[in-house]
Amino acid sequence: MIVPTPFRLSLFALLCALFSVSAAAADTPRQIVAKAILTENSAARREVIGTLVGQGDESVAALFTAWREDALFIHSSADGAKTPVQLTGEKDSAGRQNALRVDDGQLLNGPDGKPLRLSASELTVVQHDRMLRLSMKAVIDLLDLAASSPAKRIQAVQTLGFAQDAEKLPALINRLSLEQDAKVKIALREAIALIQLKSADDAVKLAALKELKDLHTLASTDFIKAAQKEAEAAKKPELAEAARIALGAVENHRTAVNFFGTLFRGLSAGSILLVVALGLAITFGLMRVINMAHGEMIAIGAYTTYIVQNVFGSGLALSPFGLSFTIPGMNTTGLAYESYFLFALPLSFLTAAAVGIALERTVIQFLYRRPLESLLATWGVSLVLQQLLKLIFGSNNVQVSSPSYLSGNWTVFDVVFGWNRVFVIGFAVVIVFGIWMILTKTPLGLLMRAVMQNRGMASCMGVRTERVNMMTFGLGSGLAGLAGAFVSQLGNVGPFLGQNYIVDCFMTVVVGGVGNIAGTVISALGIGMADQSLQQILGNPVLGKICVLIAIILFLQWRPAGLFVTRSRSLDE
Amino acid sequence: MITNASKFLAAGALALGATLASSHAQETVKVGVLHSLSGTMAISETSLRDVLLFTFDEINAKGGVLGKKIEPVVVDGASNWPLFAEKAKQLLEQDKVAVTFGCWTSVSRKSVLPVYEKNNGLLFYPVQYEGEEESQNVFYTAEAVNQQATPAVDYLLEQGYKKFYLLGSDYVYPQTTNLVLLEYLLSKGVPLANIGGGLKEEGGKVISAGKYTPFGHTDYQQIVAEIKQFAAGGGAAVISTLNGDTNVPFFKEYAAAGLTADTCPVVSFSISEDEFRGLPAKQLVGQLGCWTYFQSIESPANKKFIADFQAWLAKSTVSGIVKEGRVTCSPMVLSYDGVYLWKAAVEKAGSFDVDAVRKALQSGLSFDGPGGKVTTQKNMHLTKNVFIGETKADGQFKIIKSFDNVVGEPWLKGKYKK
Repeated sequence: MIVPTPFRLSLFALLCALFSVSAAAADTPRQIVAKAILTENSAARREVIGTLVGQGDESVAALFTAWREDALFIHSSADGAKTPVQLTGEKDSAGRQNALRVDDGQLLNGPDGKPLRLSASELTVVQHDRMLRLSMKAVIDLLDLAASSPAKRIQAVQTLGFAQDAEKLPALINRLSLEQDAKVKIALREAIALIQLKSADDAVKLAALKELKDLHTLASTDFIKAAQKEAEAAKKPELAEAARIALGAVENHRTAVNFFGTLFRGLSAGSILLVVALGLAITFGLMRVINMAHGEMIAIGAYTTYIVQNVFGSGLALSPFGLSFTIPGMNTTGLAYESYFLFALPLSFLTAAAVGIALERTVIQFLYRRPLESLLATWGVSLVLQQLLKLIFGSNNVQVSSPSYLSGNWTVFDVVFGWNRVFVIGFAVVIVFGIWMILTKTPLGLLMRAVMQNRGMASCMGVRTERVNMMTFGLGSGLAGLAGAFVSQLGNVGPFLGQNYIVDCFMTVVVGGVGNIAGTVISALGIGMADQSLQQILGNPVLGKICVLIAIILFLQWRPAGLFVTRSRSLDE
Repeated sequence: MITNASKFLAAGALALGATLASSHAQETVKVGVLHSLSGTMAISETSLRDVLLFTFDEINAKGGVLGKKIEPVVVDGASNWPLFAEKAKQLLEQDKVAVTFGCWTSVSRKSVLPVYEKNNGLLFYPVQYEGEEESQNVFYTAEAVNQQATPAVDYLLEQGYKKFYLLGSDYVYPQTTNLVLLEYLLSKGVPLANIGGGLKEEGGKVISAGKYTPFGHTDYQQIVAEIKQFAAGGGAAVISTLNGDTNVPFFKEYAAAGLTADTCPVVSFSISEDEFRGLPAKQLVGQLGCWTYFQSIESPANKKFIADFQAWLAKSTVSGIVKEGRVTCSPMVLSYDGVYLWKAAVEKAGSFDVDAVRKALQSGLSFDGPGGKVTTQKNMHLTKNVFIGETKADGQFKIIKSFDNVVGEPWLKGKYKK
């Protein structure tokens, strides 16, 4: 005689409580599925499926999936015997495949003892309805408790917990005793406590509320609130008080999550502002050229990313010209395809820099001492570039897919750190460091600073100011291109992409103090933080933005030259 | 004298032509097409112009309307609302069109409405809208709120979802739809605490029915974080009336935060097959849409419609028309249905006169369109089928539920109030 362990007992109790069909227990899970398929009445069929709860194996999930996808069939032999089958293997010319018996997973043999080859058209598809699919889900939910991936286990546990179904409690308690993973353990404790909240016993409820207070998960809020209401209605002050304390713990946790979440989001929003505005800070701040086409440089970077992505993938088609490129051997997939972004980064820098240099040579070099004309001319250039992009790529937005290494997240104590956001913060740090290195540690940086401080004097000293101007403008445009590669991962890529960013860019640079990189960094982070905090506090993105703009206007009244004022000894200023 | 005589002769010939009917096939009737062919709405609206021109060609090839060929007068509203009114005036007063097919945004419809009412013109409006309007001069082939938003909510409730987060673009359609949805959800027994997105005062008084972001908004970090907390307890869904390309940053952020169609599905009312061409399909798989037509409908009428439209596109000579990767979507089909309904009404009335045509329209005409049978109603709306679809990676929808013959009902605000 087998000693009944608590688990076996509870499972047995569970099964007995759920179903009185004890005879089915003798069948293997596969046989039960086959039996369910052959059951005509849909209620009876659901009951047979129900016997699988807690005792199915991996094969059941696969069979259910096939069932839901209309891939299970009934084969009727000549003598009228019906056999549920699943078609597998390669199709031959007549569309026939091997048939696996559902009840034992073996090949179905014909009267001659050889495996039958069947096609879907000569078989009857096994039907299913919504209620049946729900019954299947109940079985699969419990199967996933033993899944190998912790994420899957957590999801299964949560599904069960949120449903507050007391019948699933023994299975969860059993799982908790076996579970090794810390996160799954917490999810299990939460699920068990949530189910116990529904218990009729006040002591159990009280213990559950204590447990929920210790766990203070965000997911439990609604359930605790419901329990509190119930307790108040039933005039049970002790329970209501426990619920209030648990709710307080959850709210404290939520405040902390929101605080750190907003901090992170502000940092990332600021980093994006910084990345898009740095190029402008160089051309506008250092060179005193108001480049209205800065936004289009960003768009050029984004479109370069799009082109690189398509070259790595299935090829590029430019509709107005009827052109399409495919590079043989490039049609990559998987990680090789996703590595496109690493190539797109330097290429978007180079492309935008090249366009910037061309712009400097053809337009801006004639306007260095005429800021208003340069504003007007570059605005014209920006319109031309927009239409050019529209002509080449069409007026619809193009799709840029995010590589998988940029589209996940880390969740630490309920604060979500999106990888793309983490990446943009890191990237902003690298760029700022790079700019600082170029400006202070390279000969080009030395010449740049010399020309910016006193063009005439530098020229007298033999500095080729024209060349330095060109390189500086190229650098600023290239940075815009890099920013474009980034924003393509966050939002839309269309011909008018630049318009969305140009105001933010000027705002950042002006607040920071024209001509000062450190000011740009501080103002970008400040604006980003302020924006996200106000959004969080006011609960409205539009109001948040308006408040930031008002704050900026007031700030500029107080300090018209921005955060940091650059002093120069030039006579012309 | 001579000119007068020839005019008299011509008039005589006309009268003769009218009596002999079909023998004078070169006679035409002017029909207006009023859409944005430039500006931000051009992306969506040029498709409607294309499908209208295709429909006119199809009808002309079969002999036209009352023996007259349709002569389209295409004008560009340029996504500029005052310009829409000017162009409408031009169509009605200068070109004297018999009917106009046009407008996409609610604001463009509101701009041209006084023009049509003043001149007693007739406008067919094909794009899902917020309701709360019923003009004798507009025929709404569009989905009313009860033909898109409330069936979608019914579906979600049936699937066991208990919490709903309302999100939309900041203009008239989402704001009004969300107000109606809020009332509808409350009437279905969903407590106010389970409806997210809106701003609530201390006493639970509702200030705004949903969360709104401006057009072109790119930063959805806060909103997605809020949805994530909202959905933490399970059983939550997002009802999105976000319009246009703001959907891209929203869905990118949504996916990055680890939210999926399994944990918290989004049902969108503004993403159709046509919009899908510019969206990252991969990140939208499994999310829901609700329209009165999907390209994936398996019916002979729909298959023929798609094939004919593609064939027309291939040989079209309309300047600047996009031929690659074209799909069909609900506003396109409702434009197509509208032209045929107008044709049926004209034939029933035996005249192009607006009052006669309106009377015929209100008498309950039917047309078997690509999305199934549509029937006109007295309140200038349509009775039609509604479908709920699940998005697939190829930009198409898999139909998972349909509601047959839903009667269009424009006045919903206050109807569900408890």
